[in-house]
Amino acid sequence: MNVLASGGFWAFVAVVAGIYTILALGLQVQFGFAGLLNFGQVGFMAIGAYTMAILVVKEGWSTWLAAPLGIAAAAAAGLLVGLPALRLRADYFAIVTIAFSEIVRYVATNETALTGGSQGTIALGPIGTATQYNGQWSRFQAQVQHSLGFSSSDATMLVIVWGVAVVLLALTWLVLRTPWGRVLRAIRDDEDAAASLGKNVFAYKLQALALGAALAGVAGLFYAWQFSFFSPDDFQPLLTFFAWMILLLGGLGRVWAVPVGSLVFGFIFAGTRFLDFAPFTWFGSDERAYLRLIIIGLIIVLLVMLRPQGLLGNRREMVLE
Amino acid sequence: MTALLEVDGVVRTFGGVRAVDGATLSVDNHSITGLIGPNGAGKSTLFATIAGSLRPDSGRIVFSGRRIDRRPAHRVARLGVVRTYQAARVLTRMSVLDNLLVATTRHPGERLTTLVVRPRAARAYEERTRARAHEQLALVGLDTHADAYAGTLSGGQRKLLDLARVLMLEPSLVLLDEPMAGVAPALRVELLDHILALRRDRGITFLIVEHDLDFVMRAADSVVVMNEGRVLTAGTPDEVRRNEDVVDAYLGKAH
Repeated sequence: MNVLASGGFWAFVAVVAGIYTILALGLQVQFGFAGLLNFGQVGFMAIGAYTMAILVVKEGWSTWLAAPLGIAAAAAAGLLVGLPALRLRADYFAIVTIAFSEIVRYVATNETALTGGSQGTIALGPIGTATQYNGQWSRFQAQVQHSLGFSSSDATMLVIVWGVAVVLLALTWLVLRTPWGRVLRAIRDDEDAAASLGKNVFAYKLQALALGAALAGVAGLFYAWQFSFFSPDDFQPLLTFFAWMILLLGGLGRVWAVPVGSLVFGFIFAGTRFLDFAPFTWFGSDERAYLRLIIIGLIIVLLVMLRPQGLLGNRREMVLE
Repeated sequence: MTALLEVDGVVRTFGGVRAVDGATLSVDNHSITGLIGPNGAGKSTLFATIAGSLRPDSGRIVFSGRRIDRRPAHRVARLGVVRTYQAARVLTRMSVLDNLLVATTRHPGERLTTLVVRPRAARAYEERTRARAHEQLALVGLDTHADAYAGTLSGGQRKLLDLARVLMLEPSLVLLDEPMAGVAPALRVELLDHILALRRDRGITFLIVEHDLDFVMRAADSVVVMNEGRVLTAGTPDEVRRNEDVVDAYLGKAH
């Protein structure tokens, strides 16, 4: 049977799109509203996932305590990065954030005693044991599946992830509509002008960064639960740039553009997974893997050329000076 | 009259250039003080140091008895010292109304904590701010543009919006950087009347950088002349007009 025709495959794609939605929502707060060029979003995601997994496996914490702490750790990392780095010019800040996410990945790779190192979360517990961080989560998911009467666990995860994503989208949308969100937009437009209107620009940027980092932490938790295993290699900078593509595809400064961008990106990404028809079959499978990335790139370039403001963005807003 | 603002020996350098080189001046309470001088005299740099966006290398700036030369821009603004920019810095991707709404200093809705703890206080404050913003827009004749992006306004309209936004903050000292530049002649008279009325009715003190000498001489109670980073002279418009050094600074020694 063709995989592309199976419902299970697309449910999986939609789950991943939901996780990306939460990840990119954090970027939307940071860049779309506060103008912060964060190229290290995946680092906060990794901190959320690792904090939860380590607390559960090594400290024996309940998942329901470890998960909020994972989110808090991601937010705290945001504050820690922001305190020195937000005093830099925007382009230098961008460089610091990408360096930060790479530092997180290298630390996770090398601090074997804490993180399991390059072997990933399998090596978290003592040697010879099969302690997992997601036992409690799996039981919860099974309960939800049972009460929904679903047969597939991916479909259950789809409901949970998108349920959480929609709640987070709605909350973010509400918060950004308040006077607090208005100050963020003012800072994005002209931070000197905002300062001369009495706004503590640094404090607001710090809050936006921490809030976006917390959302990345949530994405990290769901990533961990969905795949039941992860290693430092899962948190390559590429993931941050996927989130950026989602942001640009959907449109800047619009909360509800994030899930749209994420779904479009997810389906382009997954839909090009099996290019098993001519002319692609003329190439070997290795070459096809690269060809796929080229095609994804071309599709995104085309979309951005046709709609530079993104699918839901406002074109007029783009050209105002 | 007492001095509301005292600038004492302020120096600010950029690399090796001493943009402001020991400027000393004072601005009386409820006065309109003109700050003139040729291009590159250091007027805008002095403005930025008073407003807190630039830190002076040395010297003191005292506003209403408090030193402000070590405070960041947003703190200075909250004390009631607010500036406009030579090219009005409106928030282009926000509506004209939002530009005014963002100009508040103690809005409880601008803090995440109070938003959660006292949402009613935030909402009430927002409503009052909205009412004041509409009043202010009507005053400068921009009320029909309330919902337009500020980026669609003309240069002159942006100046008016900038002024309206500054007034939202209920300042005691307003620093105007070339308020007349780029404003249509018909609008200039109106703007002058507006500034005079604000001083008369609300007791706002103005320090105005302006190249339109005619405007400065008509509006100002006292005029400060800067040249090469220093204060050349200060006095009433008449005294300054008769001062030969001023003429030299503007037209060159060989005129």
